[in-house]
Amino acid sequence: MILLEVARKDLTLYARDVRFLATLGLFSASLTLILSMAFGPIYQDAPREAAATMWASLFFAGVLGLTRSLDMEREAGGGDALRMSGADPYAIYLGKTLANFLLLAAVFALLLPLTSVFFDVGSLSGLPRVAGVAAIALLGYSAWGTLFAALARGLQARELLLSVLLFPSLIPLWIGAVKLTHALWGEGGTASVGDWVKVMLVMDVLGLGVAAWLYEPVQEAGE
Amino acid sequence: MLSGASLALEPGEVILLAGPNGSGKTTFARILSTLLPPDDGEVTLDDEPVSEHRALTRRRIGFTTHVPLLYRGLTPVENLVFFARLAEVRDGGLRAIDLLTRFGLKDAMHRPVANFSRGMLQRVVLCRALLNDPPILILDEPYAGLDEDGVAAVNTVLREARAAGRSALVIAHGKERAQSVVTRTVHLRDGRIEAA
Amino acid sequence: MTRTVPEGWRKAARFVWIAALVLVALSLVMVVRAPTERVMGPVQKIVYVHVPSAIATMIAFGITFAAGIAFLTTRQWFWDALGAASAEVGLVFATVVMITGPLWARSAWNTWWTWEPRLTTFFILWILYAAYQVIRSSLRGPSKRTISAVLGIVFFVMYPVTVYSVNLWRGSMHPQNVTMQGNMRQVLLTSMLAWVVFYVAVLERRLRLEWARRAAEEERLGVGAPAPRGHVAARGAEARGR
Repeated sequence: MILLEVARKDLTLYARDVRFLATLGLFSASLTLILSMAFGPIYQDAPREAAATMWASLFFAGVLGLTRSLDMEREAGGGDALRMSGADPYAIYLGKTLANFLLLAAVFALLLPLTSVFFDVGSLSGLPRVAGVAAIALLGYSAWGTLFAALARGLQARELLLSVLLFPSLIPLWIGAVKLTHALWGEGGTASVGDWVKVMLVMDVLGLGVAAWLYEPVQEAGE
Repeated sequence: MLSGASLALEPGEVILLAGPNGSGKTTFARILSTLLPPDDGEVTLDDEPVSEHRALTRRRIGFTTHVPLLYRGLTPVENLVFFARLAEVRDGGLRAIDLLTRFGLKDAMHRPVANFSRGMLQRVVLCRALLNDPPILILDEPYAGLDEDGVAAVNTVLREARAAGRSALVIAHGKERAQSVVTRTVHLRDGRIEAA
Repeated sequence: MTRTVPEGWRKAARFVWIAALVLVALSLVMVVRAPTERVMGPVQKIVYVHVPSAIATMIAFGITFAAGIAFLTTRQWFWDALGAASAEVGLVFATVVMITGPLWARSAWNTWWTWEPRLTTFFILWILYAAYQVIRSSLRGPSKRTISAVLGIVFFVMYPVTVYSVNLWRGSMHPQNVTMQGNMRQVLLTSMLAWVVFYVAVLERRLRLEWARRAAEEERLGVGAPAPRGHVAARGAEARGR
């Protein structure tokens, strides 16, 4: 399947670029460190501060990952070969989204234990649900991020622009992720858990759906 | 910058498109290969406008540019197999190995492309363009930065294409390197195409 | 294409401008004469600028959205021009909203910023459409139009979800709608009408600029003048057997 081929190709390239992976890991860890220290050493509301810290770090790391994927395509001629292969653009998009999702999941797997340890929150039993929230949030992030990244590929200051595009527009995902993670780690629940999950799922579906229509024109948009 | 540029490409022809820098040769190549839509005018393949069945059309064109369209972090085999699967080429793996061997890359098949010399890169690029056995080749500056062996490899490809009744458009600055394989030379001047 | 817009357009534009000026003048008079709100005093009248600006903004971005879809389907330059012009005018109105909002809030609740859901969402929109301008101005080639259209569509599509989520986040601690009676309602409605017509007038002007740009571009490219069309025909033989 084209989708899997593209995902595998991107993931292989990520995996072989050890320098990039190391930088990504170090960057997210440093950001987590800074925020943990800023909130500490005594935490007023550890679940809340931990959730904010982890998701802020993840968010910034995501922009780096997306930019890297852009650069990889640019080195290979800016996607010309992909277009000339005649493969379905939406399948290519889904493959890239899957690869980005897995990359972000890897960063999450790094930051979750780090944050849990720094803030002393979370538990193994709660892990599946936290992972579930992360899955929904990161899926939306990848879906929209891959579309925006393709859009921004010809622009200068790509990281900046990508951040400017992603941060405000994905607020529903971010607030949802932070609130839900907070609720899972803290004692009280936010009464609107169901609502937040709904909002995030809508963002996910919107992202994947809108890209179904818009990814091809963006890909063909040329220089 | 192109204005009224017209060209007909017939089977068995290898056309050299020459012209000064900035005359629009690359733009022309990109329009021909459907990567760039023309502002006005039309491109047909076998008498059908290329805009109709774009994916199918693209699969019948072997396209190269001066930027090697390859992923640096992958090996030649991985690159070719990837593109073969995307273009739904049958037995892509076999074909990839076959082509790479033919171009003298058997030993380098499993090394990441990042460290290849310009000549080796170009040979992999040619393999990629030939993957789906395209009836039409569009090569933009294929000789750039190549040594004798590299030039020979390109010319071999063109010669074989000609013999098999395929067509090729080669874009180059000067005529010397392609002289031996070219059937016709045209110039891009003032936005139009003229016979040499 | 003519250097400047056709006569019919200009006539209609004159009419729109006159209507806009009359309506704005009328609404200003009404605003000045409107009853002063008891608690807040004259500053409350900012709402007569704030709310209509918000409405004009949403109409503007809605038009950019529709124009984006129209452009992607028809690929005609006019839809791109309309979308870009509307996005720019919309951004200006959004700035007015962002300035008048805190001014009103300071007066009403003694703080500059209260995370009022709609104002918060407006801030988000402001950033996005400012980014639209930045992106559009840094693109030169044919991709400019497609990318602008896509952005215009995407930002508008996200708006309802964003509003909902900001509301959800905020909880409903603030009165959403400012209720007004009688006289005040009339003033507000007139202001709304005035500002929307004003938006149309400004949009028209901005569109003229796009028209002129397009005319200049066509002149430069030599399009429209009797230029030879290129025709490229390729014929390929399929390899039979091996």
